[in-house]
Amino acid sequence: MPVNTPKVEEPVGRRRILIWLSSVGLFGSAVLSAVSNLVFIKPRATYGQPQRFAIGKPDDFPTGTRISLDVKRICVVRDGNKLAAISTTCTHLGCIVGISDTGFACPCHGSRFDQDGNVTGGPAPKPLPWYKVSLAPNGEVEIDKGVQVAPGTYLNV
Amino acid sequence: MSTETKDPGVVRALRDLPSNLWSSIFRNPLPSTDLERSSTSFTNFFLHIHPVKVHKNTLRPIYTLGLGLISMFLFLILIVTGILLMFYYVPSTQQAYDRMLDLRGTVAFGIFLRNMHRWSAHGMVAMVFLHMCRVFFTGSYKKPREFNWVIGVVLLLLTLFMSFTGYLLPWDQLAFWAITVGTAIAGYAPVIGHEMQFLLLGDSTVGQEALLRFYVLHVAVLPAILVLVLAIHFWRIRKDGGLSRPEKALAVPAVVRVRVEASATKKTYGLQGFVRGPFTKVGNVPDDSVYAWPNLLLAELFVLVLTVSVILCVSLAFNAPLEEPVNVMHPPNPAKAPWYFLGLQEMVSYSAFWGGIGVPGIMVGLLLLVPYLDRTAHGVGRWFARERLLANTIFLTMVILNVIFIIIGTFFRGPNWTFVSPF
Repeated sequence: MPVNTPKVEEPVGRRRILIWLSSVGLFGSAVLSAVSNLVFIKPRATYGQPQRFAIGKPDDFPTGTRISLDVKRICVVRDGNKLAAISTTCTHLGCIVGISDTGFACPCHGSRFDQDGNVTGGPAPKPLPWYKVSLAPNGEVEIDKGVQVAPGTYLNV
Repeated sequence: MSTETKDPGVVRALRDLPSNLWSSIFRNPLPSTDLERSSTSFTNFFLHIHPVKVHKNTLRPIYTLGLGLISMFLFLILIVTGILLMFYYVPSTQQAYDRMLDLRGTVAFGIFLRNMHRWSAHGMVAMVFLHMCRVFFTGSYKKPREFNWVIGVVLLLLTLFMSFTGYLLPWDQLAFWAITVGTAIAGYAPVIGHEMQFLLLGDSTVGQEALLRFYVLHVAVLPAILVLVLAIHFWRIRKDGGLSRPEKALAVPAVVRVRVEASATKKTYGLQGFVRGPFTKVGNVPDDSVYAWPNLLLAELFVLVLTVSVILCVSLAFNAPLEEPVNVMHPPNPAKAPWYFLGLQEMVSYSAFWGGIGVPGIMVGLLLLVPYLDRTAHGVGRWFARERLLANTIFLTMVILNVIFIIIGTFFRGPNWTFVSPF
């Protein structure tokens, strides 16, 4: 049994700090491992369709046509010598919009868009995005769904 | 060997083997009195989940309607049929649908097991929801049962998520588009929405990665979490003093207090001597309680038999739906989620954020907070107690609104989600 009180305080204080530090350390490593699990389940490579792909020569798309490539989920618009790609994934809940007389129409919840992808009706909150179109060195049209461009941006071919 | 067989001890041991084996496993002989049954319950792993005695109110069918028990038995059926289905299912976009057809065509009892799994899943969602309604309308979430209500809400969400992940696995048109729509709703969550959607799908669209992820969630991650949370739910029922009952019988302390006797330094106490709670009751107290064995066990057996027979009959009569294989290019028109999400989808057709995230988020938040917002202690243990008129009216309104939305979404929505008459 200690006789002197100050001498008792000292080791208890150190012990408390050590307990506190190791608790923070243990809790911190638990949090870190939880975060690393999240990092683990976020795929670095996806096995689905690539974001960037070629769709063929510019001449495959005659002037004045709007061709919907459902597998790629884009609509290629050719107007004179101008070319653009509009997404056909509905901005509402991800269904594929079909080409209608006035633009696009979604079969799932009835969203409607005009020729440029602007919302004209239904629950869709945003217009259909336009994607970057470029000409690859081999003369093929290349679409990059990772890059959105301002609506009305055409590529001259 | 030869020396051992000559040992008379071994001969005796062999003769006594059956009774020794029995007593090592069950500790007690086959019980014939209440006291023996109680001590058998006390030492048996499976029976020990029950208290030795339960209040009579617990056994009134009209009070609980057995909804929680039915939910649990449906979950058991789901585990058994789910494990059996796992023997034939392959989570691959190439094979999943073919395996569904195989279940129909070649696997013995395949279609029957799939029916049982599907109908039990639907039933479990409905029963868990009704169980929640029962607990609310009898005021059973009140002190000391607040946290068990919160756990119950978590169980409801887990049940819905289990059902949602299972929905994709047949890889038919219904599955694909319901999950496309469902995960797009998740993408509307602020800040983390898109990240969450990407983590869930493992890709930017629903495909092989999503199928594999949903499969792992459905057969491993979620059941494990559900079993754990369910165990806590059950454990707390007893720790919170059993099922709720009318106030006059409510004599259970909410807080377990440790009593430190003045003589504590001189005498050794068992743990139960210190803890004041429902289990320290000794002697023959006239407390309206009956022995759990046989009263509660028989009631449970009855509910089990009833649940299993209903599921068997429904599975014999109706086949689980299976639509055409996935066609990524042609969404069905309209693309509908499973019925319990159709209320959500109906709201989503007005506003994706408010219908899919805002309103459901507020609803779940309110549900979690219910026992902490309503602190009155009256009206516990009776259906639709007069003192709880306001709370019950609000809750009933929510339930009815939800049901109306589900009915509109199910029967009154046609192509392009336009209003159609089902008649």
